[in-house]
Amino acid sequence: MLEVENLTKIYDGGTVAVKDLSFTVKDGEFLVIIGLSGSGKSTLLRCINRLIEPTEGRIIWDGVDITQLSGEELRKVRRHIGMIFQQFNLVKRSSVLTNVLSGRLGYVNPWRSAIGRFPKEDVEQALGCLDRVGILDQAYKRADELSGGQQQRVGIARALMQEPTLILADEPVASLDPATSHSILRYIEDLNRDEGVTVLCSLHFLSLARAYASRIIALKDGEMVFEGLPAEIDDARFKEIYGEEAIQVEIR
Amino acid sequence: MSAQEERQEKPAKEPRGLLSSWRFIGVLFVGILVYAYAWQSTEIDLRRLVVDAPDIVHIVTQIVQPDVLTRDKEYQEVLTNFQLPCTDSPPEQMAASESEPYLVLSHTCGAPGEPLSVEGFNLRPNTRGTVRWIPPEGTTRSLAHFDSDGEGHFVEGISIPSVVESEELHQIQTELRWEVGLPYPSETARVVFDKMLETIMLALMATTLGVFVAVPLSFLAARNLMSVSRGTMVIYFVIRGIFNIVRSIEPLIWAVVFAVWVGIGPFAGVLALGMHSIAALGKLYSEQVESIDTGPIEAVTATGANVLQTIIYAVVPQIVPPYLAFTIYRWDINVRMSTIIGMVGGGGVGFLLIQWVNLLRYKQAGVAVWAITVVVWVMDFVSGVVREKIV
Repeated sequence: MLEVENLTKIYDGGTVAVKDLSFTVKDGEFLVIIGLSGSGKSTLLRCINRLIEPTEGRIIWDGVDITQLSGEELRKVRRHIGMIFQQFNLVKRSSVLTNVLSGRLGYVNPWRSAIGRFPKEDVEQALGCLDRVGILDQAYKRADELSGGQQQRVGIARALMQEPTLILADEPVASLDPATSHSILRYIEDLNRDEGVTVLCSLHFLSLARAYASRIIALKDGEMVFEGLPAEIDDARFKEIYGEEAIQVEIR
Repeated sequence: MSAQEERQEKPAKEPRGLLSSWRFIGVLFVGILVYAYAWQSTEIDLRRLVVDAPDIVHIVTQIVQPDVLTRDKEYQEVLTNFQLPCTDSPPEQMAASESEPYLVLSHTCGAPGEPLSVEGFNLRPNTRGTVRWIPPEGTTRSLAHFDSDGEGHFVEGISIPSVVESEELHQIQTELRWEVGLPYPSETARVVFDKMLETIMLALMATTLGVFVAVPLSFLAARNLMSVSRGTMVIYFVIRGIFNIVRSIEPLIWAVVFAVWVGIGPFAGVLALGMHSIAALGKLYSEQVESIDTGPIEAVTATGANVLQTIIYAVVPQIVPPYLAFTIYRWDINVRMSTIIGMVGGGGVGFLLIQWVNLLRYKQAGVAVWAITVVVWVMDFVSGVVREKIV
């Protein structure tokens, strides 16, 4: 279980990105966070694995306060939290396989990995992960030779290598076309359903959120404006979240 | 608001035809002045391009026939006596022979300016030779060239040179020269090869020096890394400033400075090119660090990797290929620069080149010119191919 308590993040410039957020995510949930650009979705997700330092509040995961951890302990927690990014964040010049293997860095001997050596099991596991997302034949290509959808699948394979119990997905399909978006979200959905991985996923489009979420929270200017089931978001709620002038765009 | 409406709102341009035409005339006038002065101060004289062309033809013909290959030479010398001035007993002609080479003169004594015919027998057939005058004192003079016929015979008319009269006999010499055996690299070619190797090694050492100093400095000269605090920004500006100053001084000037400091030779060249390489590479490297993509760093950190692992897996792959590409390019530039740095005392092939040019030995200079051309072309090609592979 993940508990976020009174989380606030104020950036150096004084921008309040997240304001006094509190919510709970049960194990095995597919929680979608919606909201406009700049509503604090990315900041929230990055506070959970401490890529961004929260200004105030606590994040408790399975009884451990992540905000109090440092060094080795923090890395031990991070390696169980997979993360998927809008821009895929692959090392473009490295091979697909190396990118996937980097998901294993929290587990392996740092000195061996420093000279690029990974245990044989890890290499096999990496190929297995690539097979699972359907791009095993691309393993030895450079990451930037792949299409956007394929690159995001590499991103998922990298997260899979961590054997995660929680996945943070920051706008995983915002750079992709609608058809590819669905295929990527289905991989995440499979992980959630078949292996019970808890998912926190931010999305732009309400239609995508409705299709995949087990629960939705909506942010506006860093504050929570909605929490509930996908079906509960009606036109009135929608305008509340996205503003009066917004029009719903369907992605099928 | 539509695009059309927007366009209408823009104020119409004021008519400024007169003003702009006056400005145009002013600019034109200043331009003419500048160019007139430039023409005069650079002493442009197109006439000389045509009139003095024969001078350069001579040099170019020698450069295009460089002294690269040579063959062993053999000689055949025949000497006969001549008396100047005539006395009662002039020297005898050489004895005729069936097989031995000998010379016959039209007369064996005479005075300067008189014509004289030299005839040779039983010499090496079809070979080029020279007729020389060897006075008892003073220097030998070449008087004529000839080619022996199929039987080893020739006749050549000369005029007796104005040499000092003496009691002792003068000698007339014919020398035939021909080449034997397979061609092999000339002395010039070997010297140029040695110096070319030195040049490439000089460029290698200069590039290495540049890399070792520029890599650590490049991180200190990267704005994104150094914008942490005011103190680090000071370091950033100082190092950037040093890079810019050092880079703006030409390697040739550095070579002069270091030739005074450590003496003329390749070491001075290494330091001069190294100095310039540090600044040039430092700037290019630091720009590469500045353009690094932070996404992979974030992603690798999120997997639970430590700082070292993050650098190795997310930073190094982003900067090493461009670093390598820049380095090879720099080596290429340094080879090119080191071919001329010798002219000011920086060692390498340039020293030979300038020496031969000053001695007017253009056949030798030609070898150096060709060697430089070939090496620069090869380096350019290789570095291009390697860079394409890396990036």
